[in-house]
This record gives sequence, structure tokens and C-alpha cells, in this order.
Amino acid sequence: MQTNLLSKPTNDKSSHMSDKINHPQLCQWLQSVAQNRDQQAFTHLFKFFAPKILRIARGKFPNEAQANEVVQDTMSNVWRKAHLFNQDKGAVTTWVYTVMRNITFDMLRKIQGNKEDNLSDDIWPIAESMSTESDAFDDHLENKALLSVIDKLPQSQQDVVKGFYLREMSQEQLAKHLNLPLGTVKSRLRLALGKLKVQLGEKYD
Amino acid sequence: MIKHHPKFELIQAFVNGELPASLSAGIAIHADMCPVCQQKIAQFTDQVAEVSFEEQYLDRFIVDSVTADSKTAADSLDDSTEIDFEQMIAGIVKSPAEVSVPKVEKTIEFKGQRYKLPTALNNMALSKTAHIGKLSRTRLQLNEGEIHTSLLRIEPGGGVPEHTHKGFELTVLLAGSFHDESGDYNEGDFIMLDSSHQHHPISTEGCLCYTVANDALHFTQGINKLLNPIGSLIY
Repeated sequence: MQTNLLSKPTNDKSSHMSDKINHPQLCQWLQSVAQNRDQQAFTHLFKFFAPKILRIARGKFPNEAQANEVVQDTMSNVWRKAHLFNQDKGAVTTWVYTVMRNITFDMLRKIQGNKEDNLSDDIWPIAESMSTESDAFDDHLENKALLSVIDKLPQSQQDVVKGFYLREMSQEQLAKHLNLPLGTVKSRLRLALGKLKVQLGEKYD
Repeated sequence: MIKHHPKFELIQAFVNGELPASLSAGIAIHADMCPVCQQKIAQFTDQVAEVSFEEQYLDRFIVDSVTADSKTAADSLDDSTEIDFEQMIAGIVKSPAEVSVPKVEKTIEFKGQRYKLPTALNNMALSKTAHIGKLSRTRLQLNEGEIHTSLLRIEPGGGVPEHTHKGFELTVLLAGSFHDESGDYNEGDFIMLDSSHQHHPISTEGCLCYTVANDALHFTQGINKLLNPIGSLIY
């Protein structure tokens, strides 16, 4: 659902977000940080998130220095780990929330239990989100050659193949998801498989 | 087929980061095996994140926290924090991107039987394994006071003597199966029991469990306080 928001075109160039979060804008900034180490994009992200993180942290830590540390460490991780963000897995807000929650969890554990074991990234991974999609992906398509062949299919056939084999959706679910008649889904899948077989040869039968 | 799942109150506290590491890891392990809970967690995280970073949320707090001043509430916040923020940004952008290290898969062995360690436990310190009959137990040293967390291996045909808990007892079944008076349990099941449950688990084919239990003696303090907001957890 968040990914739908993200894929909407960015018409509103204004950076002022009065009542609603401008998800496409946040996404663009974070990707610019990930790809170009864009300091200005980071400054925009910082100005959006830092005051809010500070407010939330003040509710959890009575000590102002500790609240500041949450802001510092969270935004530092946003800068350093931006490349681990995957927009297909969710919104920027969700990702930054995860980073912030993990920093907070480890800090509280350090204060309360005097343990510096930093367990949060094992419990809530920030690289691969907890999604079956990535698992299914690894199981079936570790072979990059196969993926590259799929990527050469026409988009309409790619959608069906990826939905059916990588996301393990049924043909009925796919028809609904793609808003197509069931027969179209079936014929596209058949066409795509025919092409894949030709490309990959006998060994993938 | 997973039949036992964490209650939604527990999932909420998990997403909010309010549970101790022991219970958080229990839910993470379950969710790794359970697409249904995985999705609930993902959805709830999206919601919490959205609410946390909405402007209104911020405005509400500004009004609450800023004392009388000639400036408006929002101006005052900006003024008091802007200088620090600029410095912070300048410092942060000097640091390089993190080189991501692929996660190493760890295993644990009990009397020759090797199991994959759940990722959530990767960096937890393990104690030496204690053996009692067909049971082997390794403590996870989380330093959470009265909460004790372990990996418990039951050999085929073994079981745990009938017992009750004055506090709570969480079992996440990592591998194999067991049964008790209430039924059969399979891989991925998240079984939360309290004092009203008396049980005598037996494992015909052997199993490995992740268990979290608290010391009943201190129940009215520590963990009980922590779990009070989600009191329905312990019914």
C-alpha cells in the first residue's frame, strides 16, 4: 500500500508538507543520498525527520543528551545506510522509523541492562525487510542469468511471470491484481514461459 | 502449518520496541516463519511510522512543551535546535557509506544434532549447555533480571515434567514437534502460557525450542510492570 503512494508521480514540487507526508519527495531524497551521497538531499531529510525524532526520543529518555544521541545516531545511520533502503519494500517513513526504533532499543538496553550487545538489527533487520518476497526470490531465482532473461520479456509478460513465480500469487490473484481477465493472465504466462524455454534451453525444463 | 500466533497487543509492543529483547526475539523468530504475522507487523509498522512523522503529531507536542515566549511555539523550537542541527549535519555527512557485511548463518549443536540458529539470536551470548536426561538447555545471556531465555532441545521420546508457571512461559518451536494435553505443536508455533496452564509436553520425534520464562517470585515487580500496558496478554 505504501508502494502505491511512492509510485505516484511527484507533481507537487513544494517541500512544504502541511498536513500529509510527501512520500515521493522523501523517497527521491533518500535515493539521492544512496546513489550520489547528495548532502543537500540529506539536509532536507534531516530537517524533515530530526525535529520529530527529537520529540519522540524526549518521550523515551528524560536526559536531553540521550535524546540528542538518538537523533545523531538515527540520522547518521540514515546517511551511512541509505543504500540499504529498498523502495519496493515500503515507505521512507517506515525505514527511518525502523532505524530510529532500533537505535532507541539498543540504547535503552544499554542503560537498563548495562548490555552493549546491539541486538536490534538482528531482531528488526533494516536491510532486507521482513517480507516473504525476498525469500521466494532467493529460493527460485538465485540464478542471475534467469533473472536477466525475464527482464528482457515485454513488461506485460514480466508482470505475470514475476507475480506468479517470485511472489507466488495464484493466476486468479494476479488477474485481480493486474486488473486483467484470467484468460489474458494465462495466455501471457504461457507465452512468457515459451520464450524463457527458448532462451534458457533444456536444462531449466 | 503454524496454529499459534502472538496476540496483536504483543505485536504492537514489539513494533514499538517496548518488549524486552527476549520476547522481541521470540516474535521475530516466529514472524520469520509466519507470513501472516510478518504482514501484520509490516502493516502496523507502516502505520506507526506514518503517525510518528506526521506534522500534526509534531505540532501537538510543540504546543504542549513550549513555555510562554514572545515567539510562536514553532519559531521557538527552530531557534533552540537549529544551530545544533546544522553542526550535526556537517558532522554526519563526513562519514562514509557503510559497507554492508552479509549475515553469517550460525548453527548450534546438541549431542551431534546440528540446528540453524535463528538470525535474531546471532549476537546473543550463549552459556554452556546443561544436560538432564533427554533435555539439553543452553541459556541466552540477555541479562534481563528475572526473565530467563534458553534454547531447549528435547531428544526423541523426551519431555518436560508436568509444570505450571506463576509468571509466563513463552515457547517458540524452532524445529521438530511436541504435544501436550492441549494438542500438537509444529515448527513456528508461538505458544504463550500463564499460570492457568498446566502442561506436560512430550516430543516423539525430538525438537528444539526457544523459551522465555520469568521468575514467579518477582512477578509483581519487574516484568509485570512492563507487561501491564498489554495486560490482556496474560489472561
